[in-house]
Amino acid sequence: MTSPQLEVLLQTLIAGLLLGGLYALIGIGMTLIMGVMKIINLAHGELMMVGMYIAYVLFSLFHIDPYLSILIAAPVLFVLGILLQKYLINPVLKVEAIIPENQVILTVGIGMVLANIATIIFSSDYKTTPVEYATKAWYLSDYWKASPIELSLSMPWSVSFCVALIITAALWFFLAKTDMGKSIRATAQDKDAALLMGVNVERMRVFTFGLGSALVGSAGCLFIPIYYLYPDLGGQFTLIAFVITILGGLGSTVGAIVGGLILGVFESLTSTYVGMGWAPVGRFMIFVAALIFVPGGIMSLFRKRRLEK
Amino acid sequence: MRRLILMATLVFVLSVFTSNLFAADTFDLVIPLPLTGKQAKFGEMMKRSYEIAAEDINAKGGIKKKKLNLSFEDSGAKPETARAIVENLIDTKKQPIIVGEYTSACAKAVAAVAEERKTPYLVVASADDDITQKNYKYVFRQNPVNAHYSDGIIDFIRNVVKPKTMAILFESSAFGTSGAEAMVKDAEKAGINVLLKEKYEAGSVDFKPLLSKVKAAQPDVLYMVSYVMDASLLMKQIKELRIDAKLFAGGAAGFAIPEFIDNAKDAAEYVITATLWTTQLKYPGAKEYAEKYKKKYGDYPSYHGASAYSALFVTKEALEKAKDWTPDGIRAALKATNTMTAFGPVKFEDKEGYQNQNFSDTFVLQVIKGEHETIWPEKYASKKYLYPIPTWRERR
Repeated sequence: MTSPQLEVLLQTLIAGLLLGGLYALIGIGMTLIMGVMKIINLAHGELMMVGMYIAYVLFSLFHIDPYLSILIAAPVLFVLGILLQKYLINPVLKVEAIIPENQVILTVGIGMVLANIATIIFSSDYKTTPVEYATKAWYLSDYWKASPIELSLSMPWSVSFCVALIITAALWFFLAKTDMGKSIRATAQDKDAALLMGVNVERMRVFTFGLGSALVGSAGCLFIPIYYLYPDLGGQFTLIAFVITILGGLGSTVGAIVGGLILGVFESLTSTYVGMGWAPVGRFMIFVAALIFVPGGIMSLFRKRRLEK
Repeated sequence: MRRLILMATLVFVLSVFTSNLFAADTFDLVIPLPLTGKQAKFGEMMKRSYEIAAEDINAKGGIKKKKLNLSFEDSGAKPETARAIVENLIDTKKQPIIVGEYTSACAKAVAAVAEERKTPYLVVASADDDITQKNYKYVFRQNPVNAHYSDGIIDFIRNVVKPKTMAILFESSAFGTSGAEAMVKDAEKAGINVLLKEKYEAGSVDFKPLLSKVKAAQPDVLYMVSYVMDASLLMKQIKELRIDAKLFAGGAAGFAIPEFIDNAKDAAEYVITATLWTTQLKYPGAKEYAEKYKKKYGDYPSYHGASAYSALFVTKEALEKAKDWTPDGIRAALKATNTMTAFGPVKFEDKEGYQNQNFSDTFVLQVIKGEHETIWPEKYASKKYLYPIPTWRERR
């Protein structure tokens, strides 16, 4: 492999991993909700959009850095999630309906309402937070003068990636070590057993929806320095989250991380070696392949092996 | 249910009543546009320009003493929605002329409906060559075709840059594809070797995989056909990867509007773009329109707005010259159009395989110190072009 080819490959992998890290954070929120509530939240991307608008407003009015606005956007989205779950989704869950999945359809409706409210408030203009470090990057040749290849690492992308990792690690700690986290996992595994063990399932559901919303809201704050914002942006991220959720195994957090990274790297490789127009096709090929060959998601492969031992 | 019926009847009666009341002294024109979705930015600019045009027309006595009454329908840049809107306009509202739409995909859908229903349709800013190549009798296009968008750029490149190689990136839409095809043909004619021709999905987050491929190919010129946000994202990521082409060129649309500079900031510097119109041109009414727009909305409009503004004047003239306000009467008048507008001369010709197509000059803009300046053709130039451009490392 010649050095230009190597350069292209490495740069593609870097781009893929950075993108994958962000995808993972978007996916985790949906996966959590999926695990506990057994519904796919199709308003997920729109919740991310709300998070982005919060970051945008804070930036344009008070010049708060988008990364810092996570501290505000996440709690706001948490409350929003709780309200949605308590007053919209829960009542629908209880109703006998003609279609069994009416709460999923409800989330589609919530998403549309959110997108249209955003259009009314902010108009459908594209918004950006023009931060100073938007195009800053680190270059390999600046540190290693004799380097035969040139690689660059974008600063906002790397920061977003690291923050996503920190949030994910914190979430893992929360789920694995705290009482509340254990109750959530118990609810996800077996609702009835959890109920018998004295877990307040109803409350866990409400809390999880809030948590999932907060996660995707922070993902929004991480996205806005490197992307842009308009009211209809939710749909494409809902799809990405959906693919990751299926790929990672419904309800598995680790699966969502692995799924996100795989999707990011796969998309980047497709863009470089097949053609960028094919990246969305690649995304859905993975989706279909996951459904057919690993219906339980990536995590089911690990689980099977463990059982065999 | 009974309340619903009651309400429906009420609304119906009211609408019949009001439309009769005003029918005498107004001419209602409903314009389909993308006001939501990814193309909303352009739709909004055009909507504002139509409104300014209507104000100007009404201030001077309207069309044959009838007040021009505009309203807009949002197509969301979806061809099926645009189609439905226009079917309704022609079948139910009996509107004798259709003006509007933005994306080429929507314009194609509307053109098909208009031709089928034998109602004239004036295309305002949709560039795909195809639209006026289908032997449609009722479809007129005011803006130049995509194949000619890059005439100015090619001229500039041939005379100033003299490159050997080129890479082309374009978005996978009707506009992007036809723009890229046109550039490939032009480049071949000029003896430029096209190393890479890649499409991408509009709204992509990460162009770096694609761009690192471009970087490895080391083209002299990088030509991109993109809508608004992709254009600035592309330039930002080009800066990040330090791709040093001799020239970065954009094919109108996303590169030619002020938002491009606002969003890409210093990464936009030295980028040239094709455009169909600039505020610095000396067409009658161009300056007044641009100033009026800026005063109202704080920014200068791009060619999309100017074309929309002028389209209503073309419509007005056709309506005034038509012997009756039937679709066929208006079609005949449109066909005979030969007028000067703020957008430049408008005349619908049949040549080069196009029908009812207006041919006009295209221009080249360069971003110089954070402003779009006209640099080519030189007789229209507002500033001398900057070439060669510094490498990214030198810029800082």
